[in-house]
Amino acid sequence: MTILVNENTRAIIQGITGRIGSVQTRLMLNYGTRVVAGVTPGKGGQTVEGVPVYNTVKEALREHSADSSIIFVPATFAKDAAFEAINAGLKLLVIITEHIPVHDTMKIKAMAERHGVTVLGPNTPGIISPGKTKLGIMPGNLYMPGQVGITARSATLSYEIAGNLTEAGIGQTTCLGIGGDMVTGVTFIDVLKLFEADQDTKAIVMVGEIGRTVEEEAAEFIKEHVSKPVVAFIGGRHAPLGKRMGHAGAIIEHGRGTAETKVAALREAGVEVIECPMEVVSAIRDVFKRGSA
Amino acid sequence: MRLFEFEAKAFFGSNGIPIPRGKVVETPNEAREVVESLRKPVMLKAQVLAGMRGKAGGIKLAHNHVEAEELSKKLLGTDICGCKVTKLLVEEYLDVDRELYLSVTFDSSKGKPVVIASPEGGIEIEEIAFKSPEKLIHTYVDAFTGLELSGAQEIIKKMGLTGDLLLKVSQTLWTLYKVFEKYDAVIAEINPLIITKNQEVSAAGAVLNLDDDALYRHPEVAVKPEERIEDPIELKAWKLGIPYVRLDGDIGTIGSGAGLAIATVDLVKYYGGRAANFLDTGGRITQEHLENALEIVTMNPNVRAVLINMYGGINPIVEGAQGIVKFIREKKLRIPVVVKVRGNFEDEAWKILEEAGVDVVKATQTELAAQRIVQLAQMEEKR
Repeated sequence: MTILVNENTRAIIQGITGRIGSVQTRLMLNYGTRVVAGVTPGKGGQTVEGVPVYNTVKEALREHSADSSIIFVPATFAKDAAFEAINAGLKLLVIITEHIPVHDTMKIKAMAERHGVTVLGPNTPGIISPGKTKLGIMPGNLYMPGQVGITARSATLSYEIAGNLTEAGIGQTTCLGIGGDMVTGVTFIDVLKLFEADQDTKAIVMVGEIGRTVEEEAAEFIKEHVSKPVVAFIGGRHAPLGKRMGHAGAIIEHGRGTAETKVAALREAGVEVIECPMEVVSAIRDVFKRGSA
Repeated sequence: MRLFEFEAKAFFGSNGIPIPRGKVVETPNEAREVVESLRKPVMLKAQVLAGMRGKAGGIKLAHNHVEAEELSKKLLGTDICGCKVTKLLVEEYLDVDRELYLSVTFDSSKGKPVVIASPEGGIEIEEIAFKSPEKLIHTYVDAFTGLELSGAQEIIKKMGLTGDLLLKVSQTLWTLYKVFEKYDAVIAEINPLIITKNQEVSAAGAVLNLDDDALYRHPEVAVKPEERIEDPIELKAWKLGIPYVRLDGDIGTIGSGAGLAIATVDLVKYYGGRAANFLDTGGRITQEHLENALEIVTMNPNVRAVLINMYGGINPIVEGAQGIVKFIREKKLRIPVVVKVRGNFEDEAWKILEEAGVDVVKATQTELAAQRIVQLAQMEEKR
């Protein structure tokens, strides 16, 4: 089993005709993703890599059945693209776009919650179920099928973790990025729930970094609700603190949000926190050894 | 983007939040003139983009125009919290009955706007938040519907205010929320909100930080980055739209993503080196973008070696490799450069770099690249 996507997932791509959208469409098709249609306003009737392009999501869904959308639309229009997909009835959005204003993201999140839609991102690499499908931009050659679930904030750091495991012959069930922005659709807790419920996932790797408090909240959740072993890496342990203006941020974070608080909270919850990305290999091997003993 | 206090107050004032009378000045003479026209004691407030300004001596009371001129002479040109003081806000002194705290920001975990209100405000607000968190009223707001005036009143009622004051403070909070929405703010804060002895309200302290990603839709906000960013390298990076933080080491770093870039800084340190900077290309790599990134990194004279860490996910690493080679050739860069690159089209990127004689790490492990760059930097140091 996988989480959120599988080989039957049918995706559309919003922003398919752009420089990045078209290259990534080819890479997804090559990987085996079922990309059924693309959408770019004003470009209806064209094709990209053999995929038919429509002006709107609704037009695309009149001709094709689909359940998810991968959004490459520029930041200025990304909120409207997301609303369009939600209103058309799609249930999974993968928002690749970076630099979406945070007020727009909060509205996307509120809208998605009202309609029961799952949002990955913004600023996510997407989701891959190795060997089956990928809805996103991650390099497929760094992944292989197996039993580890990976979730991360940073896209590129998740590639590094996955690549380390794959080189060591340790495959993955599903790897997904929650997104690198300060506000994202799903957070670590949502993903941990899914991995905990997935029979094929035997261990979980969580890749966090400084800022936000999603790691601390995940630690609380793991203590109570996650029986599977969790390994974590936290980026930014040597990053200097920025100058801070205003008190509101500090009040919200309440002394959390630093590398130290994240590492401490995770260790207290029984999570193995590694010092370097490549230690993920030995940490997962240990977990599996203990599991089989 | 952080606004200066006087800029924040101008936006608060023009939207209907009561603010103290005053003026921003750049010379002691102007400061004296403001006092002469106000005919009241004033507060002189250093305009620097740092918190804890008051505790660092950046706020002074002047009883008359002579004192105002003298104190301005002392404040202008000094360093407060590492920022040079070039402007003072001269404001009427208010007779304080009590100080409140109001702010609107977003909660990154819930992904929602949140209003924080406290019946006790002032410079100790963070301490109050830790010692008596029950005094702070947190209210989450639906990003779609926003905060209604009745909602603002419910919050202010919880602070124990009644009558005319309840209405005035509620109106202020409601307007503060409007400002938060209107300018795409990440923080809109009034601390303190002063209640005067005459029971008038006034936003004596103001913070307004705007979302950099939304500045394009606010032409009314004059960005003037040179007034906000003192470091010339950080300023150049900001103008090019490249996230860059200067650090105190000698190994320049470039990462294709914030998390990877942070981890690269960490690993350089882990293997005994020190990074000269953090730089994130994001998903925007082109040949030119990489040339710009290298130019920014090598502007720092302490840089002895450069580590570039890229993944070909969304990024066209082949174009990135071309940019690296072009920069090294055209600028005749003499310091060692190590490029670790993997992902889509990696073979092509490796070929371009190797043919130009660039040191390439083809492994996934940033650890190997970090060890290598630390060694090379140490060899440069011995030269």
